[in-house]
Amino acid sequence: MTDVQAVMAIARKDLLQELRSKAATVATVFFTATTLLMMAFALGRDQGVLASSTPGVLWVALVFAGVTAAAQSFQSDLEDGAFDQLMTYPVSRAAVYVGKLTANWLYLSVLGVLLAPVAVTLYGASVPGPAAYGLVALTVVLGAFGFAIVATFYAALTANLQAREALLPVLMFPIVVPIVLAAVRATEGALTAAGAPVWDWLLLLAGFDLVYFVVCAGLFHFVVDE
Amino acid sequence: MSRVASSRDSQPDGPTGGSALSLRGVQRRMGRELVLAGIDLEVAPGRLVVLRGSNGSGKTTLLRLLATRLGPHAGTASVFGHDLVREADAVRRRVGLLSSSGGSYPVLTAAENLSLAMSLTGKGSQTAAGAALERVGLADAAAKQVRYFSSGMKKRLGLARQLLLDPELWLLDEPHAALDEEGKRLVDECLTEARSRGRTVLLASHEQDREYLAPDAVVELAGGRLRLVEQAREVMPS
Repeated sequence: MTDVQAVMAIARKDLLQELRSKAATVATVFFTATTLLMMAFALGRDQGVLASSTPGVLWVALVFAGVTAAAQSFQSDLEDGAFDQLMTYPVSRAAVYVGKLTANWLYLSVLGVLLAPVAVTLYGASVPGPAAYGLVALTVVLGAFGFAIVATFYAALTANLQAREALLPVLMFPIVVPIVLAAVRATEGALTAAGAPVWDWLLLLAGFDLVYFVVCAGLFHFVVDE
Repeated sequence: MSRVASSRDSQPDGPTGGSALSLRGVQRRMGRELVLAGIDLEVAPGRLVVLRGSNGSGKTTLLRLLATRLGPHAGTASVFGHDLVREADAVRRRVGLLSSSGGSYPVLTAAENLSLAMSLTGKGSQTAAGAALERVGLADAAAKQVRYFSSGMKKRLGLARQLLLDPELWLLDEPHAALDEEGKRLVDECLTEARSRGRTVLLASHEQDREYLAPDAVVELAGGRLRLVEQAREVMPS
């Protein structure tokens, strides 16, 4: 049993659970749709303001949806002592973390890739060309990875707490600010054909992802072992 | 110290041979309460030991500690010679825990739960999984999601997982709870068979005088300490 096989098995298990229960899907899809609509009303009728707000609104919706999805992924684990059972298997804690992270990342990436064209259409943002969609998709994948790294870690940390729903965003939002900032700037650059700065922000995003991944994977056993 | 020994003591069972499990002065707090206040226990391989104690006496804490879910705050503990803290992965390869809640994923089917266990342990096969489900009477429910199971069926599924993985040390937390009389007898038969295969069994149970279960020793956990209640084979308190 290699760590890669364990990662795949845990990720497949989490995705299968979500596919069956749709617990996170129902909450996040309605939440992101509501966020997009409410922000559109709040920003007014100025087309310029709406278009320039597209990247920020997209990531605000994704970030809040990501919190819900990450929290849900651990709640289903805690039922009937299944997570306790999982942790008695000879699998490294880092593999458990990466497995759950992979499922959260894939889920958020798909949500983000589907949400981006909806946000662009709803807010009337101009897209320079087909390549811009590719850059936005790349930004979503990298941003979702960074966000999932932190969300999975903190969801595990707060899973057993009574006030977990309030604590999870409070604890993790300060940590994800650099990721959200870089993701918003990269999305903005892609939608305005800013050229080189997009890649600078994407590189920065990848750098944050790498640092957070190493730190969270290394510390995960402190979170789940008592 | 309670020492549960057997004629099979001489078999090599780990880096140091000897005991299946060995606890010396193990303490564990849960919050501010000292639940385990100095546990001394040594059990030889191939023995079946029943752990009794009132609600909240620390039986589950002790089992979770042996399954590496909790670390001791004081003392030393090893399973087949592997230190519970420093060699937790080696311990996990040889230990299997059946928790009181069953430990299965509700949204997965019975078969998928067993497949996950096989994937993560590298043990078992699809044929063996089918046979295990058949043995516990869940063959017809293999494709059914566990969330639709009764408590007894969840317990049977947990037992099927133990049979499938067949760990060297079986840890069972109230395995008879929620089961009908036939299910309880099934548990007893499986545990007796596991012992006959040389497996070591430690079960926390409230069930008294199980007709089909003949433990080698019964120990009681009270006040955070273990006391030997009865012995059927060689037991040597220190």
